[in-house]
Amino acid sequence: MADTLSKLQDVFRDVFEDDDLVITRATTAAQVSAWDSVMHVTLMMAAERAFKLRFKSGEVTGLKNVGELVDLVDRRLGG
Amino acid sequence: MSRLEQMFAYARANHPRSVRGMEEALAKDPELFTEVAEKFGGWAAGVHGDEGWAPVCVDAYVNFSNDVIMAQARYEADGHYENSSFAECEASVYADREVMDEYLWGVFLTNFLWSHHMELSRVFRDRFARKIVANASVVEIAPGHGGWGVWLLSERPDARLQAFDISPSSIAIASSIAKSAGVADRASYERRNALDLSALPAGEADACLCSFLIEHLEEPEKLVEVMAHLLKPGGKAWLTGALTAAQIDHIYEFRKESELVLMAEKYGFRVLETMSVAPLRTLPKARFVPRSMGLLLQKRTTELG
Repeated sequence: MADTLSKLQDVFRDVFEDDDLVITRATTAAQVSAWDSVMHVTLMMAAERAFKLRFKSGEVTGLKNVGELVDLVDRRLGG
Repeated sequence: MSRLEQMFAYARANHPRSVRGMEEALAKDPELFTEVAEKFGGWAAGVHGDEGWAPVCVDAYVNFSNDVIMAQARYEADGHYENSSFAECEASVYADREVMDEYLWGVFLTNFLWSHHMELSRVFRDRFARKIVANASVVEIAPGHGGWGVWLLSERPDARLQAFDISPSSIAIASSIAKSAGVADRASYERRNALDLSALPAGEADACLCSFLIEHLEEPEKLVEVMAHLLKPGGKAWLTGALTAAQIDHIYEFRKESELVLMAEKYGFRVLETMSVAPLRTLPKARFVPRSMGLLLQKRTTELG
């Protein structure tokens, strides 16, 4: 799980072009100013590439925070 | 609380990532946005109740919009739409009543929550609905949620509408919206394939509208041919379509605006006005700009007239 969060932090920094961005399981869109619906999909596509996964739209639409994304990735990876 | 306030309050509490786009649409044209939001929200409240409409419609809108953005991202990666046949779409979308119901309520709000569709809405209202002949007999092909045709009837108390859609969800939802809007006595909804409408008598309609069906068809020309068949010479048509805009059930990939214009001209239409609109924001580094096109057409009275 820690590895997933760490890898996701790289994904977030790349997508939002912010090398200082720090995420935790509690991070939400409200705390990352550019994280809107378009960037959410961009983020999910980048996460797919990083973890070699393919999400269904319904899986990622309702994610409320980074922790739920970590759990989704771990679940899909069988962790 | 107004319908608009209800909608934003629900979205802020439950879908914060989607609020920015909604606020941008409001800021782009506050007067029209407010008018359409109150109108469409009121009709939806008549169906789902004062407290129920915002959750149903906003949830559906968010899910639909996210599906669309996701499909566009896949399109960017793959270079082609996900599906290419009606059979594929029927299996994944059209045949599932629950999926279709949510899909249609989601699309319902895009008429104003997608800022570029609000531009189409203004032309539809001002240049089509308000300009068709008095006491018009109007045919709507594939009304989907029914909002466009009901809007026309609300603008034009003298008009009558006959609508045809292949989807049972469409017939149920469009009928319920017409009833809620108080125009059901002038609207009829019949389950029928759009492409079978060439069996109807030719040249009886004063006006015809068809919104965002053409990109769902394997043979889009047949739709334009049907529209021409149904209209009287001189009759007006409103046709909208999507270009390089992916969606799970978009199968015909229009790439240039001229494709739709040429198709309309081929089947005997004079192209009165066109507009091509795009979202305020697209995916980063996008190759394809998703566009929506509106065409105001008139069936020619002579070969070149």
